[in-house]
Amino acid sequence: MMITVKLTVNGKLRQVHVEPRLTLLEVLREELLLTGTKEGCGVGECGTCVVLHDGEPVTSCLVLAGDADGAEIETIEGLAEDGELTAVQRAFVKTGALQCGFCTPAMVLTTTALFRKNDQPAIEDVKNALGGVLCRCGVYPKLLEAVTEIKGANP
Amino acid sequence: MTGYVGNRIPRVDSAAKVTGAAIYGVDVALAGMLHGAVLRSPYPRARIVSIDTSAAAAAPGVQTVVTGRDFSLLFGGVIKDQSILAIDEVRYAGEPVVAVSATTEHEAQEALSLIRVEYEELPAVLDMRAALANDAPLVHPDLHTYNRRPGDYIVPHTNINTIYRHERGDVEAGFARSDYVFEGEYTAHALSHAALEVHVAIAQYDSVTGGYTVWVSSERPFILRDQLAPGLGVEPSRIRMIAAEVGGTFGGKGIPIAEAIAAGLARHSGGRPVRVEFTREEDLVASQTRVPAILKLKTGINRDGFMVARSAEVLWDSGAYTAYTVDVSIRGAQTIIGPYRIPNLSLLSRQVYTNKPVTGSFRGFGTTQVTWACETHMDEITTEMGLDPVAFRLQNGYEEGDPYINGQILHGINLTDTIKRAATEIGWGSVERKPAPHLRRGKGIAAMIKPSKTPSSANVVINLGQDGRAAVVCAAPEIGAGQRTVIAQIAADSIGIRIEDVSVPDADTAITPYNSPVASSRTTYHMGNAVLEAGTKVQAELVALAGRYLEVDPDELEVRDGGIFDLDGEHQITVKGLLSKYSKEGYWITASARYSSAGSPLLKADPGEEWISSIFWMLCTHAAEVEVDVETGVIRVVKIAAAADVGKAINPLTVEQQIEGGVVMGVSNALFESFSYRDGRVENGNFADYKLATIHDIPEIVPIIVESVHDEAPFGAKGVGEPANAATPPAIGNAIFDAVGIRIRDLPITPEKVLEALEEKAAADVSKLKPPL
Repeated sequence: MMITVKLTVNGKLRQVHVEPRLTLLEVLREELLLTGTKEGCGVGECGTCVVLHDGEPVTSCLVLAGDADGAEIETIEGLAEDGELTAVQRAFVKTGALQCGFCTPAMVLTTTALFRKNDQPAIEDVKNALGGVLCRCGVYPKLLEAVTEIKGANP
Repeated sequence: MTGYVGNRIPRVDSAAKVTGAAIYGVDVALAGMLHGAVLRSPYPRARIVSIDTSAAAAAPGVQTVVTGRDFSLLFGGVIKDQSILAIDEVRYAGEPVVAVSATTEHEAQEALSLIRVEYEELPAVLDMRAALANDAPLVHPDLHTYNRRPGDYIVPHTNINTIYRHERGDVEAGFARSDYVFEGEYTAHALSHAALEVHVAIAQYDSVTGGYTVWVSSERPFILRDQLAPGLGVEPSRIRMIAAEVGGTFGGKGIPIAEAIAAGLARHSGGRPVRVEFTREEDLVASQTRVPAILKLKTGINRDGFMVARSAEVLWDSGAYTAYTVDVSIRGAQTIIGPYRIPNLSLLSRQVYTNKPVTGSFRGFGTTQVTWACETHMDEITTEMGLDPVAFRLQNGYEEGDPYINGQILHGINLTDTIKRAATEIGWGSVERKPAPHLRRGKGIAAMIKPSKTPSSANVVINLGQDGRAAVVCAAPEIGAGQRTVIAQIAADSIGIRIEDVSVPDADTAITPYNSPVASSRTTYHMGNAVLEAGTKVQAELVALAGRYLEVDPDELEVRDGGIFDLDGEHQITVKGLLSKYSKEGYWITASARYSSAGSPLLKADPGEEWISSIFWMLCTHAAEVEVDVETGVIRVVKIAAAADVGKAINPLTVEQQIEGGVVMGVSNALFESFSYRDGRVENGNFADYKLATIHDIPEIVPIIVESVHDEAPFGAKGVGEPANAATPPAIGNAIFDAVGIRIRDLPITPEKVLEALEEKAAADVSKLKPPL
């Protein structure tokens, strides 16, 4: 049995016919070939696969594609327009808030969602937002610098 | 020189990484690609009685099913003791037994459930001390028959796969001369590298040439190639390794793991490429871990506070196969006196096989285990003798010109400033002891020393094209530590072009010239030297060409910022403009260079012991402030001041990243990470139960860059990646002692251990108060 799932991904309407067991992560990576979203564990423990689902960060490995039918999905590929990086992306680059970069899409998207709600988040809000995304390289101190940089750009 | 070196340059891989454009090993896909899956042993040791793969072979989508019978050859880093799939016997729970390739991942996984394997369980060796017993079962009874690097480091017919001794001075006389002697035993546990990108590989077999192409995520494409070749029965050059972006490694992606399975399946999959991606559980349980160790130390001190003698006995647990651990155990053990002058040494290091998961190189290559033991031991000495830990380290610490344990004269080191600056930053000597009724604070310090793989070489080719852009062709994969950026900085400066006009393509063993691994914190130094030389050659050719074109003396021209200038600073022509004048005939400038540490006069040592020398030495000191909750035993690390002698920072931004990231890893290693086993099986193969530090767990981290002067280093730059995590755990342990007077000697430092130690201490304190009976 196959199901049809309609998603708006980075502003474009996409339709896929997939087995119902597929997750949103699998549809993004394997059907839509948006490989910027990474898988770190597949069971919702590392946060590497975060995408924005109707503006909210979700671990896409825990969302069945069918349950995302009709949703607006944003992935890392959708942030920069015509090569112009967003303020969040620019801050990550400037402060060095990435090393191997494997968690970076999830970190950037989570930070983006946070700042859309509140352009001056408190440090505890930042830690609570990013606390679910693991980084083995340990860029956490530089992430906090990036957040300070973004706050400074949003006076 | 244009001026990128030494400056805080944003990483050249940043844009690709913040936009999702970077292609990692897990992102590579090929047309017609099959998917592999692995059936693993549930037992730590068992005889394989029978394997029935008939149902799996007939399952939908299945291309091939292979077992150990299909691969009789052995491979390994030093001792060839491992096969692609278990042959006749399994030696750890999680060992690959059967592999399947199928059209989809799902079909491959489904087929696994149809395979029937009958095992006969055998008595397993699950403890490294037990492995030494005379009647212990032998994990590898045929050890003495295996192909291996020559040398008498194995003990045939035992579980000992590495024995190493080192003597310097006269240790017994040293102890006899000592006024005080201290002894202690310490343990360091297995740790997962836990790179967020799991182990993955795609392999394709060409039945006409008998060669393989393997797309990998690895820091060591050449080493991987050379190690896998014997397992496949081909010459190394028959395997082409193409490295994609690496989603973290920390020393963990340098031996054939997913690569071996993928290549093995590809051999029997009709020429179609086969992709093998581990699950997180496979990655945690069945890739490799840090080598656990038990370290016994004995140190003699005189009344003036000088260390006189040390004897040490180190036992390492390689797990079921040796991989890189022969060298890990030897190189790690060689640092057993730490960064201190101890004239008399007796070291015995032994490593045993057990029926536990494979271990290997892990950021620090054996020095994290040793540093934990040595620096905890140092703190016990200073406590007992009433000495100041900072002053004691300064008094005994290595200085420029001191001889190392093999007589090598230490050059280009600055331990002293790392100690002083870490101590100053942490506010040594003062602490707010009791910020709340249930909280106690303390401070601790720890230092370490780390060699870099010696000898080793790096080769590079630089191609400067007609558009004025340079490709730096080298096998130095970007593993996250900023390799690509540092290489681009040095290339841009030495050629005289803008960094935007430099690219550093991915490694490909069929194209990129040989490089030793991106490991041992060696890349900036070794590849940096090669790139500096090649870039300088490119610039010389540019200047000569410009002289011819402009009809001026080349000595009166210089290249910078992508332009040719005269000595008055007048711009003459751009590099691109100059090369475009020759576009009809086609004009590229190509230069190559090789740097090798072999034969350097810096390696001179006592006769027969030059092999112990390191081309450069990395020193670092971490000082910690911690807070102990005496009701719960929970440790909060308040601050870490981390000072590293890096020689010269080519890019202070990426150096800070290494130091900060290392401290985060050190905190995680010390407080949170631990495998739990039941009957030899890892029980916690997931991130819910194998806990890594999150952004909630990090202290204030102050990275301190200390410089030194090294004659052979490019711009003076040494390395920084590995020392960054090693000194954090003992600094935390020593700070806990300072806070509450308890000594944890076995990692990790869990709340349970802290509470238990606090209770024991309270009981002991009470009994001290009681009058004698």
